[in-house]
Amino acid sequence: MKRLRQFPTLHIDTNETRSLKYRGKSLQGFAGDTVATALYANGIRIFSRSLKYHRPRGLYNLDGESSNTCMEVDGVPNVRTENTLLKDGMVVKAQNVKGSVDHDLMAFIDKLDWLMPAGFYYKTMHKPAAVWPVAMKAIRKAAGVGTISADYKVKGRYDEIFLTADVCVIGGGAAGMMAALTAAESGVRVIVLESRPHLGGCWDYRTGAYKENKPLFARARELAGQVENTSNIRVFKQTSMVGAYNNNLITAFQVGKSNDAFTERYVEIRSKSVVVATGCIERPLIFENNERPGVMQVACAHRLARSYGLLPGEAAVFSIGHDLGLEAALDLFDLGLKIRCVADIREDGHDAGLLAALAERKIPVLKGWVAAKAHGCKQVTKVTLATLDGTVKRHIPCDLLVASAGHTPVNGPLILAQTNIAYDNHSGFFLPKKLPEKMFSAGWMTGRSHPQAIEASGQVAGLKALAAIGVTDKTAVFAAEKEAAALPGIDRGCKLVTAPVKGRKSFICFDEDTTIKNIKQAIDMGFDVPELIKRFTSAGTGPGQGGIPGHNLPLFVSKYTASASKPMPTAVRPPLVPTLLATYAGAHHHMFKRTPLHASQKKGGGIFRNIGVWQRARYFSSDFDCKDEILNVRNNVGLLDSSTLGKFRIFGPDALKALQRLYVSDMSKLKQGRIKYSAMCNDDGCVIDDGIVIKRGDNDYYVTTSSGRAGNTVEWFRYHTRYDGWQYHMVNLTDAMGVINISGPNARKVLKKIADADISNNAFPFAGYREFTVKNTIPVRAMRLGFVGELSFELHVPSSYMQSVWDMLMAAGAEFNIKNFGLEAQNVLRMEKGHIILGQESEQRTNLLDLGLGFLWDRKKTAAKTVGAVALRQAENDPGRFKLVGIRMQDDARAPRDGALIVDTHVRGYVATARKSFTTGEAVGMALVESQLSKPGSRLEIYEDECNEIRLQARVVPMPFYDPDGQRMKM
Amino acid sequence: MLFTYKSLWGKKPRLKSSYEVVIIGGGLHGLATAYYLARDHGITDVAIVEKRYIGFGGAGRNTAIVRANQRTQYNVPLYKEALDLWPVLTKELDFNLMFNNCGNLNLMHSEAAMKAARMTIATAQFHGVESHLIDAKQAKEMVPALNISEDITFPIHGAMYHPPGGIVRHDAVVWGLAKGCAKKGVHIHQQTEATAIHTQGGKIAGVTTSQGHIKTPKVLVSAGGYSAGVINHMLGLKLPISVLTIQAMVTQPLKPLLNHVVSSGAYHCYANQTLKGEIATGAHMDPWPNYTTQTTAHYIKHQAEALSDWLPCLRGVRFMRIWGGLADMTPDMAPILEGNDPIGGFYMDCGWGYFGFKSCSAAGKYMAQFIATENCPDMLKPFNLRRYEKHQLMGETAALVSYTPDN
Repeated sequence: MKRLRQFPTLHIDTNETRSLKYRGKSLQGFAGDTVATALYANGIRIFSRSLKYHRPRGLYNLDGESSNTCMEVDGVPNVRTENTLLKDGMVVKAQNVKGSVDHDLMAFIDKLDWLMPAGFYYKTMHKPAAVWPVAMKAIRKAAGVGTISADYKVKGRYDEIFLTADVCVIGGGAAGMMAALTAAESGVRVIVLESRPHLGGCWDYRTGAYKENKPLFARARELAGQVENTSNIRVFKQTSMVGAYNNNLITAFQVGKSNDAFTERYVEIRSKSVVVATGCIERPLIFENNERPGVMQVACAHRLARSYGLLPGEAAVFSIGHDLGLEAALDLFDLGLKIRCVADIREDGHDAGLLAALAERKIPVLKGWVAAKAHGCKQVTKVTLATLDGTVKRHIPCDLLVASAGHTPVNGPLILAQTNIAYDNHSGFFLPKKLPEKMFSAGWMTGRSHPQAIEASGQVAGLKALAAIGVTDKTAVFAAEKEAAALPGIDRGCKLVTAPVKGRKSFICFDEDTTIKNIKQAIDMGFDVPELIKRFTSAGTGPGQGGIPGHNLPLFVSKYTASASKPMPTAVRPPLVPTLLATYAGAHHHMFKRTPLHASQKKGGGIFRNIGVWQRARYFSSDFDCKDEILNVRNNVGLLDSSTLGKFRIFGPDALKALQRLYVSDMSKLKQGRIKYSAMCNDDGCVIDDGIVIKRGDNDYYVTTSSGRAGNTVEWFRYHTRYDGWQYHMVNLTDAMGVINISGPNARKVLKKIADADISNNAFPFAGYREFTVKNTIPVRAMRLGFVGELSFELHVPSSYMQSVWDMLMAAGAEFNIKNFGLEAQNVLRMEKGHIILGQESEQRTNLLDLGLGFLWDRKKTAAKTVGAVALRQAENDPGRFKLVGIRMQDDARAPRDGALIVDTHVRGYVATARKSFTTGEAVGMALVESQLSKPGSRLEIYEDECNEIRLQARVVPMPFYDPDGQRMKM
Repeated sequence: MLFTYKSLWGKKPRLKSSYEVVIIGGGLHGLATAYYLARDHGITDVAIVEKRYIGFGGAGRNTAIVRANQRTQYNVPLYKEALDLWPVLTKELDFNLMFNNCGNLNLMHSEAAMKAARMTIATAQFHGVESHLIDAKQAKEMVPALNISEDITFPIHGAMYHPPGGIVRHDAVVWGLAKGCAKKGVHIHQQTEATAIHTQGGKIAGVTTSQGHIKTPKVLVSAGGYSAGVINHMLGLKLPISVLTIQAMVTQPLKPLLNHVVSSGAYHCYANQTLKGEIATGAHMDPWPNYTTQTTAHYIKHQAEALSDWLPCLRGVRFMRIWGGLADMTPDMAPILEGNDPIGGFYMDCGWGYFGFKSCSAAGKYMAQFIATENCPDMLKPFNLRRYEKHQLMGETAALVSYTPDN
C-alpha cells in the first residue's frame, strides 16, 4: 500500500525501513510502525481466527483491547501487535489457525453455532460418562489461542525499577500533561506514565481546532515539548499502568526502546498522590458481523491515516454515535477516502460546524440510522443500514465500515484503587461515586470533550494533587475549579446498546466469541447479574479481558432484564494490560544467606542445600549415607559449620522475667559458666524451639535458637511480654556471630593448640561455658555440648574472625586428619544419641511431654506465667497423644525409610528418623507413636510407601542407642 | 429442542415464615448439604439464604484443584469420597462438572520434603488411594516444561504423583448443585442476608434475614470465610479461625502445555491449565488476617519469580487476571464440623482454609446426615470443635506453627 507522507502527525519514518517475516515472506514496514500497521500496510486484513468459531478477525482498534490482532511474535504468544513497535527481523505468526489464516479448515464451525449456545458444555458431553474424557481432549485442543513451547527460553533483558514520586500522572494526553505541568510548577517530583510511544493522547492525530489556527495535534506537541523539557517531570513512555494498590502504589511495565538496557521492565511507584487521566476508548457498536475484517473503530481508521500514513480502505460507510465520528469522516475524506455515507445514531445534538462541512463535501449523513449487518465472508463488501427501530433498511457496498457506538472511560486505574463507579444517565459513562484519597481524575474520562475543558480539568487535578499532599492550599484549587466550571461540561452520550438485530452473529465479546444471543440465553437460564453472566458465557474473560465487552455487557443486561436498577459494572482486576511473567519477575532474585565459611565449605567439597533462609553444606561427599564423615567424628575429630543457629543477647533488669515466661525451665537457677538446655512452647504446649541459655553476667544472657526460629524470636518475646512493661532488650546476633562445632575424641587436642585457656576436662567440664581468646586476639565463646554424643566444643566467634579460626583449627587438626562433616552426618550422629531436631522428631501438634522432654519443665514456676504450661498440665494425663520412642528393627539389615507409617488396622504413628547405624551396626530410629504403643518392648508394624502390604517389624527400645551413659561426651 | 433456556433453579421462591432447616451461605458446602438433605433424608423444606449470589465467595474464587492426598488418616477418607463423587454428581445432577482427572504432581525440593512425601504417600496407599513418589527425571517426563536443573532457587528432588486428582470446573459445581437443590424443592434465596440467629432455651429458634423472619429448629452456618464472623456476631461463639486473603491468578489462554496439576511447597506455588487453556496459579496467603480480598503488587511479582524458576517457559506468557478470596484457617489446617454443641440445632461447617472446594461434596453429604439424624457420623467426629480446648491438634499440617498476634 502506498503511504500518505509528509504530515506533521506521522509517527513513521519512511526513510528507515524495517522488515518482518510473515508466512514465509519478508514484508517491509517503517520505523515507528507497529507490527499491526506494518502488516496492514502490506495488505494483510485477516490477523487471526477467533477462539470458538474460527471467524476471520482483523484490525479493529489500535490499543490492543481484543485478541483480534494478538499474534505470535518471535515465539511469544498473544503479542498485541497493535501496541508492539516493529523491530527488524521479527517473525510473526497468526494464532488459532488450522490450515492458513485465509483458508481456515475449522471455519465451518461458524455455521454450527446453534450447537454451542451459552454454557453448552455444562449440558453436554457427560452422557454416557465415557464420552467426557474424549470430548475433554478435543476441548483442550480447541481452547486457548497462543502456543508456547515447553522449552521456550526467554530472550532479552528484563529489569525492574522502584520509584517514589510526589505526583504520578497516569496518561500522557492533554489533561495528564496539564496536570503534570501544573504540579511540576511547584517543584515537586512528577512522573507521567504513557502507554503509547509518544505523548498526546487523542489530540496527537486530530486536526480539529484547539484554537483558531491551531489544530489539536499542534497543541498536543506544544504541551509534550513543555513536559519533556521540565526537569522535575520524569516521563515513562511505552509504559502501561497495570495495578493500583493501597496508599497509591502504582505498578506498570515499560517496553524498552532499541537503545535501552532492558527489553521490558517492571515499574513500581509509591506516589504521594495520583492523577488518572486515561481518557476514553470506544464502545463497540453491536450488529450482525460487527467484527468482520473491514469493520473498525473511528480512532483506528483515523490513526491509521494520520499516524501511519495508511488510508484504511477505498470506500467507507460510517456508523457512529458521536462527533468524533463526524470529525474523522471529514478528515479521512479530505485525505482521499471515499465516504458513501455517515449513519449517525443520534437524531440531534451534532456539532453544526461538522455537519456543514460534511454537507459541503456532499457526504450524506443519516440521522437515527445504524449499521445492522456487515456482509462479506472474509472482508466487508456491503453494509445494511437500518433505522433504529429496524423498519427501514438500506444496503451500501463498501470495503470499510467505521463503527462506534460511543465512548467509555478507561476507569480501570480508579477501580483498582477501590473506587466505586456508577452509571451516569446523561453521559452514558460509568463515573466514580467518590474518588479515593489522594487520587484525582481528569480529562475526557470525566465526560468532558471540549479542549479547553479538558485542559482545565487537568489543571484542577494537578492542583488538587498538590493540595492533597500539603504543597499548596486549596484556594488555588477553588479558583481553578471556578474557571473550569464556566467551560462546557459533561457531554451527552449515545446510549444505544445494539442495532436492531436478533444477535446470532452480533458479538459482544470478540475474544470468547460471545454473542448477544448467548447473553440472552444465559439470562433466560437464571443468570441475571452481569458478573454471573460473565462466568457462564465467558464474555470478558478472554485474553483482552473486559476491553471489548466491559461497558456493553452491563448495558445490555440492564436493558434485556428490563431491570429497574441501573447497569451494574463487572469487576476489573489487575493487571489492566496482560503482562509478561518475565517482566513481573524482573531481575529474578535468588536470595539466600551464606555463612561466613561458605567459600571454604564449598572448597572443602560441601554439597549445599537451600534450607530456610540459608545455604548450608549437607554432605561432604557423594556418599549421602555419610559413612566416612560419621565415623571420623566417632573415632577422630570433625568440624561442622553451625553458624545458622539463632543467637541473641537478652539483657536488662527484667531479662530473667522474660526468660522465665518464654522458656519452660527455671532460669533463676542459671549459674555463670554453665550452659542450660531448654525449650520454648506455644500456648498448646507444643514445642516451638529448643536451645541453650547462658548467663554471662547480672541481667545479661546469651541464648541460641534453632536456625529456623531465629527470624521469629524477637517478635515471639515481644508478643508474650507486651503488656508487662518490662525493661529488657534483645539483640539478634545471628549474623554477627558464627559457630564452629568441633567434635570427636581428638577435639580437645586440636582446640588446645590454638586456645589461650586451659580447656582440660577439669578446667572446662561438660556443660561448661567459657570465654577465652585465640592467639590473644579473637574472642571466643565456647560451650561443651553433647549433641553428636562425642567430646565436643561449640565455638561462637565474631563472623569476621570465623574463617581465621576455622583455618587455624584445620591447620591444628592436620596431624589428626581432621575433616569437615555436614548436616546429614550430624543428623545421624545425634539420632544415635536420641537427641531431637524440632520439625524432624516433632510436628505442629507435638508437645514437650510427647517428646520426653518433660524434665525440662519446672512446675514450680507459676504456671500461668510460663507460655504453654497451662496446656501441658491439661494434656499431661491425656492418653490420646503421640509419644516419641526409640525403635529397633527386627532385622538389622536396613532401617525403614523416614516417614514410614506405624500401623495395625489404623495408622498409629510414623518413623521420624531411622538409619542403619555405622557405629553399632543396628537399624534404629525414632518414631512418634500412639501412647499405648510407647512402652519398651512394644511390637510395631511398619508400613512403607510402595511396600505392597509387606510390613516391616520393629520394637520399641530405650534410647539412646549409642553410649547410653554419656561417657564419651564427658571425656 | 436440543437446548432449552429455562432458569436452572426455577422461579425465584418466596421466603416462607418457617423452614425445617435454614442454611446460611449459598456456597458449595451449603448447596451440597441442602442437596443431600433432600436426596438422602427426604428433607426438602430447606432454605438457603445467600447475601450476594450463589458462588460469590470461595466457591467461585478457588482454583478448582481436587485431590485426596492429605496428611492424616482422618482426612484422607473424606477427601477420597469427595473425589469419587465428581462423576457420580455429574450424572445425578445431569450437569457436566467437567472433572479433568489429570492427576496431581507435588514437587519436593529437599530431603525433608521427600520424607514428608513418603509419609503422605504411605498414608494414601494404606487407605487405598493411589499416590507414588517419583524422581525429578520422571517428573520432567510427565511435565516437559519443568526445570529440573540444579541452579534454581529450590532444585527439584522428586515429586509426589497422585493420579486420582485433578481439576473440576468450580462454577459448574455451584450451578449443578443449585439446579439439583431447586429441583428437589429447596428454596435458594439470593440477595438475602441473614442478620440474626435466634435461640430459645439453648436451642435454635429462628433466623432473621433482610427479607423477613424465619422460624426454624435447625441452622447450618456454611458461609465460608465469613462463617467465623457470622457465628461470633450472631451467637457469640468464638472460633479458633483466622481469616486471610488468598490470591490466585491466570495467564492468557494457551494451547495445551500442562497436563497435570503441579504444585510446589517450597515455591509456595501451584500451576495447572484450565480447560479454557489458562494457566491458573496461586497459593499465597496474606501473612495477617483480613477480609479485604484485595490483591497485592508483591504477590503477582512473587508468583512470576517463582514460576520463572521452575516453569521457565512461562516467562513468555502473560498474566491477565488476579483475584483474591478468603481462607478461614484453623490452627491445624483441618475444618470444624460440629453440631448441637453448644447450641441445640446449631450446626457449623467451616474452617476449611483453602480446602473447601475439594471437600464440598463429601462434607455436604455427611453434614446432611448429621443434621437429619442429629448424630455426628463417624467420618466427621475427628473434626469436632472441642479438640482445640484439649490441645489435640489434628496434624494435618506438619510444620511448626508460630502463634503470633495474628492467630
